[in-house]
Amino acid sequence: MNVTGSLETFGDIVVFVLSILGRLANLRVFRHFGEVLRQAGILILSSTLVIWGLVFIIGLQCGIEGAYFNRSVGAPAYAGVFAAWCDLRELVPLCFGYMMAAKVGTGIVAELGSMRISDEIDALEVMGISGVTFLCATRLLAALIVLPFVYLCAIGAGFFASYLAVVQQIGDVSSGGFFLIFWEFQNPPDLLYSLIKAMAMAIIIVLVGCYYGYNASGGPVGVGTATAKSMVFNIVAVHIVGMLGTQLFWGTNPRAPIGG
Amino acid sequence: MRFTRGKRGGDSQPARGLSTGNGSDTGAPAPGTGAWNPGAAADAATAPWNPAPAADAASPSTTPGPSQSGFDFDRPAPLTENGHGGDRRQPEAAPVPGATPVPTPRPAPPEDDFTFEHPIAEHRPARAHAGDGDGGVGPASSSRVSVVDEQGPRPEPPAGATEEEYKWHTYRVYPSGRPDAVEFIDTYRAFGKNRILRGLNMGLPEGMVSMILGPSGTGKSVCIKHMVGLLYPDQGDVLVHGHSVPNMVDDELFEMRKKFGLLFQDGALFGSMNLYDNVAFPLRQHTEKGEDEIEDIVMRRLNEVGLGHSRDKYPNELSGGMRKRAGFARALVLEPDIVLFDEPDSGLDPVRTSLLGELILEVHRDMMDEAKAAQKTHLPTFCVITHNVMMARRTADYINVLWKGRIVEAGPTEDMLNSPNPFIRQFLAGESMGPLTMD
Repeated sequence: MNVTGSLETFGDIVVFVLSILGRLANLRVFRHFGEVLRQAGILILSSTLVIWGLVFIIGLQCGIEGAYFNRSVGAPAYAGVFAAWCDLRELVPLCFGYMMAAKVGTGIVAELGSMRISDEIDALEVMGISGVTFLCATRLLAALIVLPFVYLCAIGAGFFASYLAVVQQIGDVSSGGFFLIFWEFQNPPDLLYSLIKAMAMAIIIVLVGCYYGYNASGGPVGVGTATAKSMVFNIVAVHIVGMLGTQLFWGTNPRAPIGG
Repeated sequence: MRFTRGKRGGDSQPARGLSTGNGSDTGAPAPGTGAWNPGAAADAATAPWNPAPAADAASPSTTPGPSQSGFDFDRPAPLTENGHGGDRRQPEAAPVPGATPVPTPRPAPPEDDFTFEHPIAEHRPARAHAGDGDGGVGPASSSRVSVVDEQGPRPEPPAGATEEEYKWHTYRVYPSGRPDAVEFIDTYRAFGKNRILRGLNMGLPEGMVSMILGPSGTGKSVCIKHMVGLLYPDQGDVLVHGHSVPNMVDDELFEMRKKFGLLFQDGALFGSMNLYDNVAFPLRQHTEKGEDEIEDIVMRRLNEVGLGHSRDKYPNELSGGMRKRAGFARALVLEPDIVLFDEPDSGLDPVRTSLLGELILEVHRDMMDEAKAAQKTHLPTFCVITHNVMMARRTADYINVLWKGRIVEAGPTEDMLNSPNPFIRQFLAGESMGPLTMD
């Protein structure tokens, strides 16, 4: 692996990201607020169901795993502990990141890359419109507007799935018993931290997708290569953010009613 | 489709025949509008495009000869507006050995009067018969060459190149009589080890349809990207209406780009928008016009290019020619001062190429009329990049021939068609025999 090349790429990404954030900071992106709304609409219509679907499945897994594990140690009433932590802290953010990378990130790379190789971005620039602002900053702002709600709903889907698995499917614990423990082991700050993790992932994914798409070259093969690279980068980034988030938010304080 | 272009340029211009590149063709006037009078000796002194033999100038002939090509191509040159300027690169601005050729300062912009005499006539004496009967383009007349001879010593070849590689580069610039809308000044640009522009000095005269011709890979498209600031030179400068593009900050650059309309090779329409929205896009982004007004403008442009009936179609539903025309409509919608065409004929059959050329001329003529009426500061300038010599012959007012990153020769079409340079003659005739080989 070419370390120097990787560092150069990382540096280029940082510079590019800063230019996009600059467009948000100086509010120029609001000149194209119609495009922001269009991108928000695309995100809602094309990505929410698939994200919620994946999170629902992972919620089922957390519920099933928690229920059988707690049955095996003789504490089936505590299945909600596993479900709460598994859902909120780890797997829902990760699955959200996976689907964002796979659906939204690659979609951005492919779209912008195709625009690049077909001269559409150049055409935009020649019209006196900044491509970075119109194509990248608008997508980032749309993500910032839409994705918190998408994520919060995804958490709800995960919780609902865990409830179905633990209470309705396996049935070792009553509904009231499950929720007593389930809510005992999480609180509003946990929800905020989880949201921060997920949004950090989402922002990185959108920005990386914009970078690889906007700077694609080499024809269709180049777009394919850029898409693959962005996917690799994003999957790694999702796990790094997940790890750092867990360490930062829950590493020193498990925030659980254990041991007084 | 047949466009009548006889009105363009008034009656002071000789008609341009569709030359096949040999001397006898270029020596014969094409059928014109009937107003060309090559006979009077006095006229000969002020009608430099008079291709008649010198002897004919003293012996009036009132009947222009027929076009040798058989094409009824009777468009007079478009120079009917105020030239308001001198020649680009006057002899005193000619390069000295080893030094950068320095263009003359831009002349003052036009004031308020667009009526003027043929600008070239003020700068170029009458030209003697160009053909010498040797079956090729004859030697230039002494008067024409005298302009060139005063340019000064040849510039040195670029670093790493030999004089032999640039032996066909005469660097002649026949005067256009117009100030340049776009100027390249000693511009260098490399992509890795691939050096594309190697000391390019080139100008696109205002108010003309210019062509940049040259073999593949010589940097024609790179030139366009430099003009609009999509690429920057490694060295040298690019001026648009006298302003340095590489030295512009982002805001200035985006503002400057509003002067441009650019037709990309495949139209570069936005795939997510239908035809109407594509053309309306620049208006919606840059103007405060209401939707009704936008619709009027967009439909006028779409109808101009014959796509009014396809307004709801998406780019992937259009043929290549339709995409080009739609791109043309979009490029024109903001009424830019400079319109660039990147190989508009690529992928088109000869008939549609011809029609597109006619369309370019017609739109240019209309924009000139509008510029006159509005008394705009800058006349509309069109620049076409193409390999299509036939299109260049039919469409161009001014030709730059680019090779190995430098201009071989440049000048009004008639001058270029009569150039004695074997490279120019080979390229403009599209012949296999000559200095240019597959190497």
